[in-house]
Amino acid sequence: MYSREVEALLRKKGITPGDMIRVVLNKKTFEGILLPRPEFGDQGALVLKLKNGYNIGLKPGVGTKLEKLEHAKETFTFPRVKLEKREGLPNVTIVSTGGTIESKVDYITGGVHMLVEPEEMLAQVPEILEIANFKVVSPMRIASEDMLYQNWQEIARAVAKALSDSHGVIVTHGTDTMHYTAAALSFMLDGLTGPVVITGAQRSVDRGSSDAFMNLLCSAHLAAKGNVAEVGICMHASSSDGFCNFIRGTKVRKMHTTKRDAFRPINNRPIARISPNGAIDYIDDERRRRGEDRKLRVVAGYEPRVALLKFYPNSDPDIIDYYIGKGYKGIIIEGTGMGHVAVSPADEKYSWLGHIKRAVESGMVVGVTSQCLNGRVNGNVYRNLRLISGTGAIYCEDMMPETALVKLGWLLGNHKRGDAARMLSKNIAGEITERTEIDFF
Amino acid sequence: MAVDLDYKKLGFMCGLEIHQRLATEHKLFCSCDAQLPNDVSIAEIDRRQRAVAGELGRIDLSAAFETQRGRKFVYNAFRKTTCLVDVDEEPPHEMNGEALSAAMQIVASFNAWVPAEFEPMRKEVVDGSDPSAFQRTLLVGHGGYMEFADRQIGVTSIFLEEESSGIEHSDSNMVIYNVDRLAIPLVEIDTEPEIRTPEEAKEVARRIGLLLRLTGRVQRGIGSIRQDVNVSIREGARVEIKGFQDLETMDKIIENEVRRQVNLIEIKKELQKRDARVHQPIDVTSVFGETNVKVLRRVLEDVSGVVMASRLQGYAGILGREINPGRRLGSEISDYAKLAGVGGLIHSDENLAGYGFTEGEMGELKRLLGMKEKDAFILVAGDKEACESALAFANTRAQQAALAVPNETRGVDSKMLITTFLRPLPGGARMYPETDVRPIPLDHEAYEVAKKLAVDVERITGMLRREIKNEQLEEQMLWSPYLGLFMKIVEKTKVKGSVVAPVLLDKMTQIRRMGKDIDSIGDEAMLMIFGEYAKGRITKAAIEEILKQAPTDGKAVEKAIKAGKLERIGGKELEKLVREAGRGKGKEEIVRQIMSRHRLNVDAEDLNNLLK
Repeated sequence: MYSREVEALLRKKGITPGDMIRVVLNKKTFEGILLPRPEFGDQGALVLKLKNGYNIGLKPGVGTKLEKLEHAKETFTFPRVKLEKREGLPNVTIVSTGGTIESKVDYITGGVHMLVEPEEMLAQVPEILEIANFKVVSPMRIASEDMLYQNWQEIARAVAKALSDSHGVIVTHGTDTMHYTAAALSFMLDGLTGPVVITGAQRSVDRGSSDAFMNLLCSAHLAAKGNVAEVGICMHASSSDGFCNFIRGTKVRKMHTTKRDAFRPINNRPIARISPNGAIDYIDDERRRRGEDRKLRVVAGYEPRVALLKFYPNSDPDIIDYYIGKGYKGIIIEGTGMGHVAVSPADEKYSWLGHIKRAVESGMVVGVTSQCLNGRVNGNVYRNLRLISGTGAIYCEDMMPETALVKLGWLLGNHKRGDAARMLSKNIAGEITERTEIDFF
Repeated sequence: MAVDLDYKKLGFMCGLEIHQRLATEHKLFCSCDAQLPNDVSIAEIDRRQRAVAGELGRIDLSAAFETQRGRKFVYNAFRKTTCLVDVDEEPPHEMNGEALSAAMQIVASFNAWVPAEFEPMRKEVVDGSDPSAFQRTLLVGHGGYMEFADRQIGVTSIFLEEESSGIEHSDSNMVIYNVDRLAIPLVEIDTEPEIRTPEEAKEVARRIGLLLRLTGRVQRGIGSIRQDVNVSIREGARVEIKGFQDLETMDKIIENEVRRQVNLIEIKKELQKRDARVHQPIDVTSVFGETNVKVLRRVLEDVSGVVMASRLQGYAGILGREINPGRRLGSEISDYAKLAGVGGLIHSDENLAGYGFTEGEMGELKRLLGMKEKDAFILVAGDKEACESALAFANTRAQQAALAVPNETRGVDSKMLITTFLRPLPGGARMYPETDVRPIPLDHEAYEVAKKLAVDVERITGMLRREIKNEQLEEQMLWSPYLGLFMKIVEKTKVKGSVVAPVLLDKMTQIRRMGKDIDSIGDEAMLMIFGEYAKGRITKAAIEEILKQAPTDGKAVEKAIKAGKLERIGGKELEKLVREAGRGKGKEEIVRQIMSRHRLNVDAEDLNNLLK
């Protein structure tokens, strides 16, 4: 928004953003399209797009002349593909949910959050239409940090529905909480029959260097012909545009804020490696394959009153009492090393032991994971660990903290407390492995 | 060819785009080193880029052209000069304030206007030279001018932007770039197309380079400044020429470009008269089953090898017409074909028997193509895809010859002093806002400082003329790194520039060659040396002697004078020396005797005055 003075000035001249205007300022004349005021910077400065494409900021003052030359032309449209059914190609459904992969700079205003239609997204990679017949459903268009469990449930239902007539499904998603959604879908989609490929972009599709193009191509190949029946994330394997990794949904984590190869397997290896030319190299022989006799069922119950707590030196265990008071049903603790929290510090008020015990006694399920992420927790090695597990807290093997959180919410949403507690440390959707192979880290 | 061109009559239009790297510590949007050390690459990143649709949902011709080439881009990354921002793996950091302040000083020096708020933009780059596929750039100055001869040359715009990557290797499949150079701050100065002759273009470029250098804020050395020239003539086309190696030959190259356009216009008229047309390429492999043409036989040994040709109706004799020294229309068409990765093409105005074509083959080829008298052909060999793409490009260029001179970005052949095709000229700059960076409000205080530091070339050259009175030394001083010091010394000590200039320009070099560390001589020391000379405490000859000691400050100068017994001998003392030496000797003998003993302490002029 422009400042009040500028707005008033524009109103007086009948000028609105998008109009071609002339500004005479200190005897210099500028002609260009008036742009909406960017959120940041001097709200009193007019932003003009000159004929040479550059934007400049002009500060109107005494003696400044404003003149409207031409009314705003209709805004442009992005090219889009037409989705037509072609014989002989497999069906793939795209469940689009939002995120960077579906956002684009508005060339005129410069706003980056404008969402594009999925058909516009595909228009950037037209060759994708040679891979499959696509259908697009869009249950929501949100940034991934705004995802709630209700969104996971919606996505799970949309995916299940799509799998009734598609070989595989692509879920386009913001990258920030993509691995939480991946875990949620892994649990909610029981008896999966085909690949559920979650993908996104670390660079928006309006730039020629976007990672979205290869991510989409690789995801399409996998969804169209992959012999796998699991949920996973398919994104760049390195900074180069060489190939993508498809990583199990319960064993994948965003490990970098900005790089295109941010998603890495934790305590696992990628299920497959996919080239944009269509070659699929399966790495994990133990993956669940297609065609096995299964019946897909959506188990979408979810208990949102679960929390993820990070232990750190001097962390106040009173926080656990807060959650007990709020009626929470479960807590996942991100301990140090093999699953430690303070047990006998010099100042006793920092000991977590009594609080955890109280939580368990109050009926909560408490799980212990490690902030090391890599490796397995163990409730037996040290005396302190034995004390912690003695409270009834459950050691979650090599499960990632975020996966454990989602799993616990899902367990408590669909099972009785006792069953949920028992199942927390048992593998359901690949989230726990019995063996940690030497090249997992 | 040798006829002089009348540029006014030809409707010659010419403007410059001067790109100059700034001498800042860091890059424009990150904290990487902005200097270029000789480093080895520590990582290699492969990327593909594609043309994305712009504002109007259209993909620009030059962008589409690059996408069609489908080349792979490889980026070499370096320890100190590359970070995630450079390889498009992290958003830009805040803009470099040092670069903006230097840009402000340059804007003020060109009398240009500054916006109240700078809006960082992304300019789409299609040749892969930027891993992000765009270059960050902002308009920092608008509507300025520079004095030139007896008039002013308008400066349309001044931009502050990121340098592109350096090319390490390039072929039809891939380009390897070094990203150490990427994003070093750069200013671009665009002039109005008011340059009247190629000679003037060279002079204006030199003048802009000088002005930039005089700001003291720019990098020196090879590659730190680049001049692009936009040139057109009436009925011709706007051509952007890039890659001038030096200014010396710029005028000759522009002249040849004008001649090229003049010749192409003539060709166009001739082709139009003949109602010339270009036909779709066809496969003519069957003609050459038993061929002796080496280049074809080599290709056909491979099972996937084919020969393809296009009939150019009405082009006979024209493909071979010379348009520049050593260049024919056929060579221009061949340049386009090469973009598809073929080695070149053969056309019918060449010496075909020389290639080994037989009459039988020619007859059969002409029959297949349906050629008539006055028709020509172009022919390529390679795998089918390459041939199709090569002839598609070549046909486009051939067709163009009958329509107009094409708008192109052209490079420079510095041996032949001609321009060579690089790519079609990009359409309107494809720009959109850099949304990862906030708009930057003008810092009024900093701008006032910049205005005070603005360079006034007229004032500086005038001062040098008055002070030095030696054209060669004036010119040398104008381009010397000592210019600033020179002006300070002259201003503060009042010593004549004709005394200071030879010391800074010649003596310093001589002393450096003796292996002395003259770079450690501080400005304070310099000012004191000339100050003592101005006071008459030392002689001109002693200046050099003190400099040999490489004094870092005033104290060191004092020490050098005392220890070297360099104080000037004058007045009564000198009279005494003359008396002692003078018994029964001639004037010349006295001077010789005294100067041989007291060269550093006696001013020859003093002595001569005394002996008058």
